[in-house]
Amino acid sequence: MRRLLSALLIAGTLPLFAQRVPVQEKYLSNGMRLLLVQRKDEPTVSGGWVAHVGASNERPGITGIAHLFEHMMFKGTPTIGTKDYDKDVKIIAEQERVRGEMRQEEKKMRAAFRKGEIDDMLKPENTTARWRELEKEFAELVKQQREVQVKNEFDKVYTGNGGSGMNAFTSEDMTAYFITVPANKLELWMWMESERLLHPVFREFYAERDVVFEERRMRTDSTPLGKFAEEFEAMFWTSTPYHWPVVGWPSDIPSISKAQADEFYSLYYAPQNLTAILVGDFEPEEATKVAEKYFGRIPRGKKDAPDVVTLEMKQEAEKRMYAEAETNPQVDIVWHTVPFGHKDSYALHVLGQILSTRTGRLYKGLIMGKQLATETWAQTDHRKWAGLFNAGGEAKDGHTPEEVEQAIYTELDKMKKDEVPAEELQKVKNNFAAGEYRKLSSNFPILHQLIQNDGDGDWSEINDAAPKIQAVTAADVKRIVNQYFTKENRAVAVYTRKGGKAAADKNAAPAKTAPKSSTK
Amino acid sequence: MKNHFRCFIPLLALAGAVLSSFSVTAADSTSLTAEIPNRPEKLKFPPLQYDPPNPRDYRVQLKSGPIAYVVPDRELPLVNISVYVRTGEYLDVKGKEGVADLTGTLLARGGTKSLTAEQLEEKLAFLAAQLGSAVGETQGSISLNLLSKDLDEGLAILREVMTEPRFQEDKIALFKDQELQAMRQRNDDSSSIESRERAFLAFGEDFWANQYDTEASIKSVTREDMQKFHQRWFHPDNFIVAVNGDFERDEMIAKLEKLFGKWPFKGDKPPAIPTKTKFAEPGIYIVDKEVNQGRVGIMLPGIKRDNPDYFAVTIMNDILGGGGFTSRIMNKVRSDEGLAYSAGSSFPGGVYYPLTFTAAFQSKSRTVPYATSIVLEQIKDFFKEAVSDEEMHVSKRSFIDRFPRVFSTKSQVAARFADDEFTGRFAKDPDYWKEYRTRLDAVTKEDVLRVAKKYLTPDKVVILIVGQKDEILKGHPNHAAVTLDGLVPTHRIIDVPLRDPMTMKPMTK
Repeated sequence: MRRLLSALLIAGTLPLFAQRVPVQEKYLSNGMRLLLVQRKDEPTVSGGWVAHVGASNERPGITGIAHLFEHMMFKGTPTIGTKDYDKDVKIIAEQERVRGEMRQEEKKMRAAFRKGEIDDMLKPENTTARWRELEKEFAELVKQQREVQVKNEFDKVYTGNGGSGMNAFTSEDMTAYFITVPANKLELWMWMESERLLHPVFREFYAERDVVFEERRMRTDSTPLGKFAEEFEAMFWTSTPYHWPVVGWPSDIPSISKAQADEFYSLYYAPQNLTAILVGDFEPEEATKVAEKYFGRIPRGKKDAPDVVTLEMKQEAEKRMYAEAETNPQVDIVWHTVPFGHKDSYALHVLGQILSTRTGRLYKGLIMGKQLATETWAQTDHRKWAGLFNAGGEAKDGHTPEEVEQAIYTELDKMKKDEVPAEELQKVKNNFAAGEYRKLSSNFPILHQLIQNDGDGDWSEINDAAPKIQAVTAADVKRIVNQYFTKENRAVAVYTRKGGKAAADKNAAPAKTAPKSSTK
Repeated sequence: MKNHFRCFIPLLALAGAVLSSFSVTAADSTSLTAEIPNRPEKLKFPPLQYDPPNPRDYRVQLKSGPIAYVVPDRELPLVNISVYVRTGEYLDVKGKEGVADLTGTLLARGGTKSLTAEQLEEKLAFLAAQLGSAVGETQGSISLNLLSKDLDEGLAILREVMTEPRFQEDKIALFKDQELQAMRQRNDDSSSIESRERAFLAFGEDFWANQYDTEASIKSVTREDMQKFHQRWFHPDNFIVAVNGDFERDEMIAKLEKLFGKWPFKGDKPPAIPTKTKFAEPGIYIVDKEVNQGRVGIMLPGIKRDNPDYFAVTIMNDILGGGGFTSRIMNKVRSDEGLAYSAGSSFPGGVYYPLTFTAAFQSKSRTVPYATSIVLEQIKDFFKEAVSDEEMHVSKRSFIDRFPRVFSTKSQVAARFADDEFTGRFAKDPDYWKEYRTRLDAVTKEDVLRVAKKYLTPDKVVILIVGQKDEILKGHPNHAAVTLDGLVPTHRIIDVPLRDPMTMKPMTK
């Protein structure tokens, strides 16, 4: 097979259909999808599953629940995580009663906050006396629970069996769980994953909620651009449920209840909303049978998950945000485009490559040519329900983000007028074609791509996207630039350094003009 | 968003390097009729045999100078070649800090004698070939990944890049600008402040690895400095090579001889890497920074990787804080108390000089003292009694059963062996990987207790905190007994000023 491909390659140009990932698609009796890729060159199996739910399935008040839920899926089952399930269940019920009362107090605290009587609901001094009493009561229950608990046993079982890279992620459109196990432990994976899907136990719910809030502080609140990026995205999306952050609003995370998580589980974690994926050293026939045995026992959900019906409103006017942040001056531009799998998405992928990279137009035009920027970027992003294109740059010392912004528009305007030369287009396509090989180097990256494509709406894009990208013409590129890259379709974030220049950079010499490019 | 607009949030920040292996068929005889057990221990698994690759099978002493690890792999029509160079930032010239880094970057980015930088980039891009170069602290590297059909053309380019780089002036100016831009960001992110100050405390202000490039030093670097640096160190006698992919072994060896033969200049053998580090005085060091989450690092003097205690230390750290969700620090700080998203420890063995033990986490300002007290307690408790049998079992199995993933791809095989050659492990301990599992398995609970007593020394603890000092000092009313200064025997809290990003001199408020 491969030898034949090499023979073709000698001809000089790359074959259009470089390499297909041999995926077998099956369905279990309960509606769960199963994707299998047999690869024999390492004695491991990378296994994962995707729940077709993400932040876009939330609503105000429970933003962040999809992600918090992901954390809860590691807390165990009736037999994993506790020495005494009956006692455990009783304690959890008792904890819920106390938390219910605490929620009533939190309602009072919110009212006090609205009236301006307290300044911050999260400050320990601002809690009510009753809340603090209940908190002690709750802590006592946690202590009791620890006596019967086996900490992080779910992880321990995998770790003690050679599992590696156990992790999960949540995005706007999907939640995925994955791990790599030794090839002889495939049945362990089936057992562990089907057990937690069949009967997860959400113990330590409230401590985990705090963990997630710390995660928010780490990623969003305490990074130089985190809060601004969140605000920019909230501004960009008008109606599509992408305008809240995946991690959730700070007011919502600490108010999500276990009951809400239970409800979320029964709707979105039903087998007809899931896809399991295996990549590695196993026999597909056998694996399908074992999957039916383990996952097939999970009853089909009574209701199907609802479709997201809200479409993004057509933007009528340019949106702009000016931010002072601890960062170098820079500009970030986003345009509304199309969702995953849309016929124009392939030309947008090609455009992303034409603009970015060291031989791309932004680098040549802005960095080396006009010498306005020290860094530029461009990328396309197609999500399940809507898409965007992003471009931007960091201003060179002595220049402004607005100059960088205008120069990006100049590059796009050129593309609106003239078609991309054949050689430039071929160069980009060659890189997509070579990428088709590079992505096949080992099990985990293949699993990850299948997760992404399935979660975005169609796993077969792992193979079908490549020929569609190769088929993109210069006329297609010209058309999409004219269609999507308009003023009223964009949002712009302009960043300048908070407090002026970097501290103690006041003596920096004015930007000197570097010698002009010595070529061409 | 320089990297990604899109938001994926993983469960674990500490997820280790994705290790991965090669084929032993595990003919599974799952009994499909058997009932599903209620506990995973009741499942039966077929055995999995695995023998790691032997470096001798791939090692070639080239006549042209370098030692190469040649690993054919016909699965995909790609070739990957990496040249590791005995050089590094430790050879930076005083006053011209940054010359190593600039030379490293510009080798691949600055054109060659026959090709301008633009022509070189276009050529590589059209071939969809990836060429990169860099000089790090103790190693330089040049790497090329390309389609095998383009191999000869690619090697010709690689030769020219290594022997006749152009160091084009406008590219030098650009990379200097980019360096200066990066410098301006030095105090923007609390995590960059933390990692920098940690290294100052761990190894001393004077240690070579803590000599940063400054605006003045970067500006003083000239094209000639780079040419000199390049010609002095980038010589085949200083090269170790890793190559894997779509080729026949003997053909590749012949190509490599051609690639490195008749080198146009003669270089020097680099001096030994200086190893004299200085660990800071015990105490709590604080950098005041306006963020709502404090970053905490708790450090102790560490070891080198050839220390006989290395395997026992590895298991000790795994149980204490290295093993993710199965470790004690993660269980206490994250799962029990919800005080941090990422919490754990590392105790790597240094290659050239001892590194440190570091436990680290991030928590909201008001719970920083309490969370720190929990981690310190875990450290102190560790040497009071032996670890449990279960902890030993899980830790050992995790290392032993994951072992095949060290060599999961052919590029990992080539790179791992080349690294062992480069760092001298192959010369000293050629059967390191063959013996790895046996040595690890030989560690006893008593060994772990012994090394814990030896290395987990609370009286030497250095704690670095980056965050809102006033808020952190307030502590939390639920844990009023815990005060920050009470956490170290000396009760010392030392203010660490931010450094001027362009000169790295401490700033006065």
